Amino acid sequence: MTFSSWLLERLSRHAVFLVLGMLIATAAILHPEFAAPRNLVNVLIQSAALAFLALGQTLVITCGLIDLSIGHLMGLVTVLISDFMQGESWRTGPAILLALGIGAAGGLVTGLLNNLLRVHPLILTFGMLSVFHGIILAYTESSVGLASPQVIWLANGGIGGVPVSLMLVLGVAAVYAYLLGRTRFGLHIRAVGGGEEGARRAGVPVRRVRLLVYIISGLSAGMAGVILAGRLGTGYPNAGAGFELDSIVAVVLGGTSFAGGQGSIAGTLAAVLALGIISNLLNLMEVSAFVQMIAKGLIIIIAILAYQQRMKQP
Amino acid sequence: MQDDLLPWLSKYAVWIVLLLLLIIAGAVSEAFLRPTYLFNIVRQAAPIGITALGVTLVMILGGVDLSVGAIISLAAVVCAVVMDGQPENIALALAITSLVGTTIGLANGLLIAFNRISPFILTLAMAVAIYGVTLVYSGGTAKGAPSPGFRDALNMRVLDVVPVLALILLALTALVAAVLRYTRFGRNLYLVGSNSEAARLSGLPVRWITVCAYAASGFFAALGGIALLARAGVSSTYAGRGYEFDVLAAVILGGTTFAGGRGGAGGTLAGVFVLLVAFNLVNIAGLSVSAQLILKGLIIIAASAAYQSLRSRE
Repeated sequence: MTFSSWLLERLSRHAVFLVLGMLIATAAILHPEFAAPRNLVNVLIQSAALAFLALGQTLVITCGLIDLSIGHLMGLVTVLISDFMQGESWRTGPAILLALGIGAAGGLVTGLLNNLLRVHPLILTFGMLSVFHGIILAYTESSVGLASPQVIWLANGGIGGVPVSLMLVLGVAAVYAYLLGRTRFGLHIRAVGGGEEGARRAGVPVRRVRLLVYIISGLSAGMAGVILAGRLGTGYPNAGAGFELDSIVAVVLGGTSFAGGQGSIAGTLAAVLALGIISNLLNLMEVSAFVQMIAKGLIIIIAILAYQQRMKQP
Repeated sequence: MQDDLLPWLSKYAVWIVLLLLLIIAGAVSEAFLRPTYLFNIVRQAAPIGITALGVTLVMILGGVDLSVGAIISLAAVVCAVVMDGQPENIALALAITSLVGTTIGLANGLLIAFNRISPFILTLAMAVAIYGVTLVYSGGTAKGAPSPGFRDALNMRVLDVVPVLALILLALTALVAAVLRYTRFGRNLYLVGSNSEAARLSGLPVRWITVCAYAASGFFAALGGIALLARAGVSSTYAGRGYEFDVLAAVILGGTTFAGGRGGAGGTLAGVFVLLVAFNLVNIAGLSVSAQLILKGLIIIAASAAYQSLRSRE
């Protein structure tokens, strides 16, 4: 490998940090309000739910799989725990346990089906997306319940100016990064993502690894559901729609290879932040929500195209 | 004996399911099997069915198109706006709407043919952008008005039994089946779908075929939008939202797999009927939209798994 190709490979893998830096600079220049501490805190708070989803999705995609069901799984968690809490403080603890339980159970079902049926994960989790959405609408067609003050604080509050949700995200990110980079399980995830057959021959328990990865993805959706309940204050049935796509975009933008085998937790976090800043900037510039949707679709397409470009390099 | 049975079963499975469903429906309610009611189901099936024909082409090729729900919505809005309630605008409206759909399909096809993009993700992102365009175009409300005569003509019952929309669906199915069977383009779709590398090496214009298939899918989705406008008179921004699930479920049920290289228009039509009869049964049973969503998700998963397992045993 020559020096220039090494540099190119480094640059492209860490391009998201460069993009993030440029975005922050551009935003600060374009809009003075952007750099105000209150606005920065807002960006972080608004990005938290997506961050949890994207962190789980990073492990899923690194393992060579994909999970389109997490958006509505998160929505399901938000609806159920909001209805359970009814704004009462003492229910906070049980509600969080419930959220993690529902998330893990959802991931378990997806993971078991993935092992049991030979259906492409895109199709399988697309079907699960529809199933979770149906379950939400069977439960309620309008907003239900009320988040407890503690959950609202988790999502919106801060300690000494630092958002609680940011600390939670960073904590979970640290755990996932450790899992992925420093444990045997992480090695197995990367091995399965790099090539199923090779991993199996090397003695990796492929099915168990995949099952665990889907459970972690579900757990992450559970955490995201808690934060979302706190953000919305109530259980809105369609709250999770579209989040699955955003999470995939964040993961791919962050430098995790769509082909599997190589993932970057830090890159995912940077990408989530970049997406949050773009949306915040468009809001500050008073671009209409409709035009923002077009922009979002185009940004996703351009991001995927740019990533494909990266794939072609040696 | 078993060697003959399995391919036969995998080819006609959807028709057997349809027959069983009709028997059940007949047992539940005698009115169900009257010609008027049956052809009403065919009429109901027109928007999904016409769109599914285009998606069948793409999936035989080994691709997928999840932007069709968004194209249906945009097409219904564009068609109604151009018509503006004036009979003399009908031809212009149909032409412009078809052009819009084909152009979007063309964009999908070009992006997919000339980049190594996952069509799943690309068309999902495209859907977001199209919904944005529709929202900007319509201002977020229902806009435009179908011309007098337009809906009457398409819903009119030939011989007092068969609605024109139903006839159009059947005719288009025959057309697509003929294209698949008798034209070089049709045969090439199967070749590219079974092994795109081999097709390329043997000199087939794989990219050109890909672009054509996606353009056709966009065109059929636009026709689906026109059919929806004719059937329901709706031209709101989200009129076609979620139709991509119905379409995907129908196509997969019909035996066209996500892997490509197999399937056909007849199977897709049967798949659409299975869905519609199932939905009608669900309605008779007093279950709602949520049950339909869960059903759709399960059908997508179960049918993929069933065909996969039949195929591997052949």
